[in-house]
Amino acid sequence: MKPSEIIDHPFAGAYAKRLGVKTPWQGHLPGPKMEAWRFTPLRTLANTPFVPASASAEVDVTELPRGVPLIAGAARLVLVNGAYREDLSDADFGPGVTISTAEAFASSSRSPLALLNAAYASAGVSIDAAGPGLRPIHLVSIGAAGAEPAAFHPRLRITVAPGASLTIIESHVGLPGQTYFSNPVTEIALAENANLRRYVSVAEDSEAFHLATATISIAAGGSLEAFHLGLGGALVRQDITVRFAGRGAAARLNGAYALSGRSHHDFTTVMDHNVPDCRSSQVFKGVADGDSHGVFQGRIHVARDAQKTDARQLHKALFLSRGPEIDCKPELEIYADDVQCAHGAATGEIDHDQLFYLMSRGIDPATARSLLVEGFLTEAVDEISVPEVQALFRDAIGAWLKSRDIARARP
Amino acid sequence: MALLEIKNLHASVAGKEILKGITLSVEPGAVHAIMGPNGTGKSTLSNVIAGREGYDVTQGEVLLDGKNVLAMSPDERARAGIFLAFQYPVEIPGVTTSAFLKTALNAKRRAEGKTEVDAMEFLKLVKAKTAALGMPYDMIKRALNVGFSGGEKKRAEVLQMTLLEPRLAILDETDSGLDIDALKVVSDGVNALRAPDRAFLVITHYQRLLDYIVPDHVHVLAHGRIAASGGKDLALELEAEGYAKYLDTAA
Ligand SMILES: Nc1ncnc2c1ncn2[C@@H]1O[C@H](COP(=O)(O)OP(=O)(O)OP(=O)(O)O)[C@@H](O)[C@H]1O
Ligand SMILES: [Mg+2]
Repeated sequence: MKPSEIIDHPFAGAYAKRLGVKTPWQGHLPGPKMEAWRFTPLRTLANTPFVPASASAEVDVTELPRGVPLIAGAARLVLVNGAYREDLSDADFGPGVTISTAEAFASSSRSPLALLNAAYASAGVSIDAAGPGLRPIHLVSIGAAGAEPAAFHPRLRITVAPGASLTIIESHVGLPGQTYFSNPVTEIALAENANLRRYVSVAEDSEAFHLATATISIAAGGSLEAFHLGLGGALVRQDITVRFAGRGAAARLNGAYALSGRSHHDFTTVMDHNVPDCRSSQVFKGVADGDSHGVFQGRIHVARDAQKTDARQLHKALFLSRGPEIDCKPELEIYADDVQCAHGAATGEIDHDQLFYLMSRGIDPATARSLLVEGFLTEAVDEISVPEVQALFRDAIGAWLKSRDIARARP
Repeated sequence: MALLEIKNLHASVAGKEILKGITLSVEPGAVHAIMGPNGTGKSTLSNVIAGREGYDVTQGEVLLDGKNVLAMSPDERARAGIFLAFQYPVEIPGVTTSAFLKTALNAKRRAEGKTEVDAMEFLKLVKAKTAALGMPYDMIKRALNVGFSGGEKKRAEVLQMTLLEPRLAILDETDSGLDIDALKVVSDGVNALRAPDRAFLVITHYQRLLDYIVPDHVHVLAHGRIAASGGKDLALELEAEGYAKYLDTAA
């Protein structure tokens, strides 16, 4: 969205005042009366006095924060506070991939957060991929606030040319102990018969806010395989919209979350089936402990013309103690008659028979619970088709489990 | 001292008394078979010994090597040497059989003050044990019991038993679901484990199993009590005559 296009929007004022008044946008955030935001209140975000994050060059980040994996064979692209850091990124992304920083480009999302991003984003980063044998990309977005809470608005565009196949892994992290608000907007366009594998890990600091909006359009014959992991942050939302723009397009959108403390994590997905013969499948699994809050909202929209759509959705969550809250809202809007649509949702506690079975083999309750939780989430992670990435995400979940004593959190 | 000593054990489920005073003493090295009609409390007895929740022990004692088993958690009981081969093994999605076996084996080894097995030793050990039980080695890469056939689940129980080498093994209808060849293979596995310091409680409906695993004692459990005890010939008698006479007298 060009600045000129947002003139009629509440954030236009914010745009005009950018870099001026401290927090002009916060009065315009979506509230609990907006259906899409009912389960994810933004009060704390609205009440935190953010300043615009420093331009990245001034930020002293010389190495990647702990927990960011080094992925062999992948070219690294690092953003600090939303801006491209050439010094921390690889110089060579291999043939077929062009990285450019451009003036903020349009986003098709009308979400308030995307508009806020449009008002504030500095230069966007564009990844354009074409041709065979593309090198995987590891995008690392680092939040670095400094003394005051700071907000930044990464803006990304990914295009994959006809027939090309790209793998991108995203790690969203921050420097420890800082309060920041990352508001990334990602616009993805897959051309005919293009493939994208996108694996996103959000493991922000426990004081951080992360509200991501991604829109993916898939042309005929194209396919998306995505996995989103949510491992923390004070408030995280991963808002993902897939638009099927041509026949025979397919999307597998999967994810997992593991929450503790006062973390809040929201997956909001839209599968927008506007053309015939497309397939979408979603498997999301989550575990929640402490006083955390997990949200899954999944909308499947099948337009009247989108015959032969096959759309499936599953959300399963486990309470690890009595404290957490989990909200699940599947929404099916189906206007075509010749379709296969199914959704399922289940929440529960760790199965007592399973726990007894493991303990009856001499495994202590803490380890038994940990094995069961890991197994539960592994079933989602197994959907990842790249073994190295599967191992990476499994390790991240393993580390999350180790970092805490879920044994103490008795149901 | 008896390895397992059950004294006047009463237990109820959901307010209903199922075990109504069971007394049984199992010496080290012995094999005791328990037979009896459906629903008389054989699995209840196994579950109470193993520590499954949902059972209220209202009276009596269970001692393993003189120690009060009922005061221990299920994992403590297992580490003390109790192993229950489940009548209905539980499926654990997402947990590979190998990860589970390794965790269980190392828990036991730690409890015994031994060093944990490393990946190489573990694989070697499991390869040998699966081969002995006629199981494809690849099975341990699958999620525990998930999608295993009835017979495969029972073999997997016996695999666990041979790995964990318990002091007291309770086999709750391990023979049901096994084909004729598997019955022989599994029985060989059990017999190979027979040792002077180890005992077995073998629950079965079929005399055939007891041709392979020859018991020292046979008990009839009826209406929550041991209605009769005898030698291995008692099983043959039951096979011929059924349970009618125990049901009449114990009612
Ligand atoms: N959770 C429960 N709630 C109510 N009744 C139960 C429960 N669990 C067991 N029972 C009852 O306890 C009785 C004994 O069951 P148990 O499983 O011990 O029998 P069993 O001797 O093992 O039978 P089988 O030979 O069929 O395996 C049965 O009548 C059963 O219905
Ligand atoms: Mg039974």
